[in-house]
Amino acid sequence: MSTVAGLQAIAPVPNAADFIDAVLNATMRKTPTQIHKNFKISRIRRFYMRKVKFTQDTFDEKLGRIISEFPVLDNLHPFLSSLLNVLYDKNHYKLALGQLNTCRHLISQVAKDYCRLLKFGDSLYRCKQLKRAALGRMATIMKRQKDPLAYLEQVRQHISRLPAIDPNTRTLLICGYPNVGKSSFVNKITRADVDVQPYAFTTKSLFVGHMDYKYLRWQVIDTPGVLDHPLEEMNTIEMQSITALAHLRSAVMYFMDLSEQCGYSVEAQCKLFHSIKPLFQNKPVILVINKIDIVRLSDLSEENRAYIDSITSDSTVTVVEASTYSEEGVMNVRNTACDALLAHRVEQKMRGNRIEAIANKVYVAMPAKRDEVDRAPFIPDAVKAREKYNKEDPERRTLERDVEQGMMHGEVFSADSRKNYILADDSWKYDKMPEFFNGKNVADFIDPDIEAKLEALEREEEALEAQGFYASDEEEILDSDEEAFLDAAAQIKSKVAVIKQSSQAKNRLQNRPVIPRKKRHITLQEMMAGMRKNGVDPSVIEKRAKRLMAQKKAEWEAAGGDAQMEDGEGDDGMDVDMDGGDGASTATGTTAGKVQRGNRQLAGLKNREQDLKATELRKFAQREPNRLAKASESDRHIPITRPRWMLAGKRKNGKTDYR
Amino acid sequence: MATRTQFENSADIGVFAKLTNAYCLTAVASSSNFYSVFEAELADVIPVIHTTIAGTRIVGRLCAGNRHGLLVPSTTTDQELQHLRNSLPPAVAIQRVEERLSALGNVIACNDYVALVHPDIDRETEEIIADTLKVEVFRQTVAGNVLVGSYCALTNQGGLVHPKTPRAELDELSSLLQIPLVAGTVNRGSDVIGAGLVVNDWCAFAGLDTTATEISVVEATFRLQGQTSAAVINEMRDSLIDNYA
Repeated sequence: MSTVAGLQAIAPVPNAADFIDAVLNATMRKTPTQIHKNFKISRIRRFYMRKVKFTQDTFDEKLGRIISEFPVLDNLHPFLSSLLNVLYDKNHYKLALGQLNTCRHLISQVAKDYCRLLKFGDSLYRCKQLKRAALGRMATIMKRQKDPLAYLEQVRQHISRLPAIDPNTRTLLICGYPNVGKSSFVNKITRADVDVQPYAFTTKSLFVGHMDYKYLRWQVIDTPGVLDHPLEEMNTIEMQSITALAHLRSAVMYFMDLSEQCGYSVEAQCKLFHSIKPLFQNKPVILVINKIDIVRLSDLSEENRAYIDSITSDSTVTVVEASTYSEEGVMNVRNTACDALLAHRVEQKMRGNRIEAIANKVYVAMPAKRDEVDRAPFIPDAVKAREKYNKEDPERRTLERDVEQGMMHGEVFSADSRKNYILADDSWKYDKMPEFFNGKNVADFIDPDIEAKLEALEREEEALEAQGFYASDEEEILDSDEEAFLDAAAQIKSKVAVIKQSSQAKNRLQNRPVIPRKKRHITLQEMMAGMRKNGVDPSVIEKRAKRLMAQKKAEWEAAGGDAQMEDGEGDDGMDVDMDGGDGASTATGTTAGKVQRGNRQLAGLKNREQDLKATELRKFAQREPNRLAKASESDRHIPITRPRWMLAGKRKNGKTDYR
Repeated sequence: MATRTQFENSADIGVFAKLTNAYCLTAVASSSNFYSVFEAELADVIPVIHTTIAGTRIVGRLCAGNRHGLLVPSTTTDQELQHLRNSLPPAVAIQRVEERLSALGNVIACNDYVALVHPDIDRETEEIIADTLKVEVFRQTVAGNVLVGSYCALTNQGGLVHPKTPRAELDELSSLLQIPLVAGTVNRGSDVIGAGLVVNDWCAFAGLDTTATEISVVEATFRLQGQTSAAVINEMRDSLIDNYA
């Protein structure tokens, strides 16, 4: 929040109609809207009570915000407080805020009453009517606040445009009759750019400009002109000047126009000075004689001179002359005023107790001489001769920054640290140097005779070699040792492989489905072979089996010979524990009453070719459902295509299809 | 001549630079802006040297020196030492100091003739300071602070010390140092003068936050415009009182 003249910024105040619209809108948006007459009556009551309470809350909050945002006049600096009083009329202002406060209470009272009534609502209709009445009454109360709201909005707009006057800082306050050159003086010494026109009351409110003098920041306040009449008769514009004069601790600069071009006589101007003099107490006062390009103080007639003297007879008043037109003396006026104010403020502060805390900061400790040593400053002559570095000068020194900024896009700047080395020979600057470690580098360890020593060593070695010093006969022994070692390694390796294989075989058995012996498919030949191997004669069993087989075959042919096709199966493929061949009925011992039904799969088919064809077609039709993993034609199941566990949440580790 | 500058958005330029009457050290930065501020003012007169001390950029706090010599802490690497030796004028002695209080810039405040040091500094270090920098050494505190290097800035013409230094102490220090002393602030009220201000006999650099009043106090104190400090401070007295009180 920005501050204007020490006041917090205030949010815009809506007019009454907008206010009501906003509140009712909020109620509609932020409370439930579905209600039904079949709901429980307690639920219906709660529904409407909530609406009424919510509306009241919203009114309360919005009004509360307006009331709290507007400044309380009694809490402000006296200057601001009385300026706001002059501009907006304290009573009116307080009344407007008071009315809003009353309105807030009334609305909460209405809400309370209707919530109480709603407790006795016995139908949806009644409850709804009660809610309507409550909201209506609140809106009516609010509608009556049209005027205070409009007034407060205007005040808000005006406050936001007030000049940022700091009541506590160094201030020059410029006052005088209208048209004596106050605003043009402010324009001369600051950049306030106040409107200057050749008619009275051009300046209708306070204006602020700032300037620097003596390392400090100064605030210059331009006030509207004041006429000489009693306080009660003064208008708002004049009262602003009076307020500033009364409440700001400042230097007062009373402007006079001796040429009487402003339309007021010297006598009148002097009279005004005397009548507002009580406001100048405890302030430095500077009487500024303006427009000296036309009339100077020395040119004045006897009687006018007497009027001026009546002012200057008071020793606290300083007289200075200036002309804002010719700019003669303007700076002198400013400096006189600033010096007078500064002296006044310092004098006041010296009387306070804070001066003790800063006494050391305005003190220069001068050394007491303790010996005869001369401790002269050391400033090289080059400093005195040197020209100040000028950024605009084309022959200026090229700085690292210039080099860096002059680089092309993409180049990397790195400062050359060796460029400015101070060495005996400049060509040494970029010599490669071995790095130091613990204060030494490689150069410290170099032996100048290293070459000769190496030569000698090599020669000695050659001589030894020539003598056969290195020849030896231990090779074979070494070989046999090595062989034994390799052999052992091979054995270990093969053993390991065997162990690994057997353990894997064990695992393989465990992982296979084991078919019980009874269920296993064994042909007659296999069984015979097995029995023979175990030394049992299977001829009896074999004979029995063949007999049973022949019997079954005969039965089958007798039963379905006319309806069925020929049986293509051979004897060899027959199971021992046969429970009916493919396409044969299970009835071995058929009773006369039992009707042979035949294979229903083959019903309606002419011959085996047709059956094969049908099978093929069926299999073909099955292909697509199989591909889509459908259980059957009627399988309408749609599998989850985007599983939540796979796709939801953050992806940190793993891929999209596996986590 | 006082210049306002900053090191990579920090107004504590005394941390990153060391200025004496014979040389200037600046930290290695990501751009050459900081270096060039010194280069523009000083390069015609004294060498301005880019360096690190012990691999850090806080060169101003780690080393101490004047026109006779430069003291660096024991953590300085051999490479840095060699670079400094090659860059500094032959008349300037460099000495590595085995001192427990290794931020020498914080514990030593000196001009070309006198040095104030931390009261707990080694006796050997004290001798090295006296020999290398050719100064008289005094163990002192400034406004109750043992880190004398941090809380004051000294030249042969004047000195600025911690703003809370009492007048009696100002007088005492001034007599030890044989220069006029002023209590003041830099960087909009900062009391670490050593960090906010680097100064020698003819030019000064202050942190970018330094106000106009502070700059004018600095210029007056160190006689950068060729006047006597007492005269100027007295002239500014009213402004200072109105500003501070």
